[in-house]
Amino acid sequence: MTEATDLAERAGDRDPRIGLRAVSALRRLLEQLEAVQVRSARNQGWSWQEIAAELGVSRQAVHKKYGRQ
Amino acid sequence: MFERFTKDARAVVLGAVGHSERMGAETVEEQHLLLSLLDREGSRASFALASLGLDRHKESVTEALAQARRRGGLSRADADALSGLGLDLSEIVSRIEEAHGVGALESEGKAKGRGKGWWSGFLGGHRPFTRGAKDLLTESLRIALAQHDRHIGDEHLLLALTARPGVPAEVLADHGVTYASLRRVLYGGGEAKAS
Repeated sequence: MTEATDLAERAGDRDPRIGLRAVSALRRLLEQLEAVQVRSARNQGWSWQEIAAELGVSRQAVHKKYGRQ
Repeated sequence: MFERFTKDARAVVLGAVGHSERMGAETVEEQHLLLSLLDREGSRASFALASLGLDRHKESVTEALAQARRRGGLSRADADALSGLGLDLSEIVSRIEEAHGVGALESEGKAKGRGKGWWSGFLGGHRPFTRGAKDLLTESLRIALAQHDRHIGDEHLLLALTARPGVPAEVLADHGVTYASLRRVLYGGGEAKAS
């Protein structure tokens, strides 16, 4: 877990702007990655339930976010 | 506030919707507004861009925007911030593309705007504007007011693009178009430091 600790420390770097920008960039990247993975899982026939279980969220949450595709 | 928009500014907004449609995007984003601004001719913004030499580099701008889309819409500043965390964005993009195909991170702009934006009434469309694009329009109003201009022209939209952090401002700055350089060609260099 040293890597995660290192990450956390750097994210809280002295200049708040640097840390905040990193968090914001990470969040946007995360959204993109999630969309890619969910789409891929759906293409492979995964159910919303299965996807939700892997993501650790409710089935409704995943379906609401990606279901209209 | 749309009634305050000049004909050119309205054309930019409508043109952005067109760019969004043609690119198969679900929302109208700031990059579409920039692409639409590049299409203008004989407007205040196109005059300013030509003064800064951008009229000869439109393709380069378009290409830079395409590259940013491939990075999931993240700017170079974002990539730098991630690298501060030890994350190599280009490496992540290439791994994702290996597994999911080239351009996998593109056009994942999912429902960031609300179903029916306030512009959709005027535009008569169902294509929502992203929060960023709406903020840009609001920013253009603020800039026009500060300049004591009664109308919002396409030059205010352009200024607003350069005044906000993100891919469009970064790409424009790479081509010599910044808030300061625009103000200089639009309003004269008096107040800015003369070089």
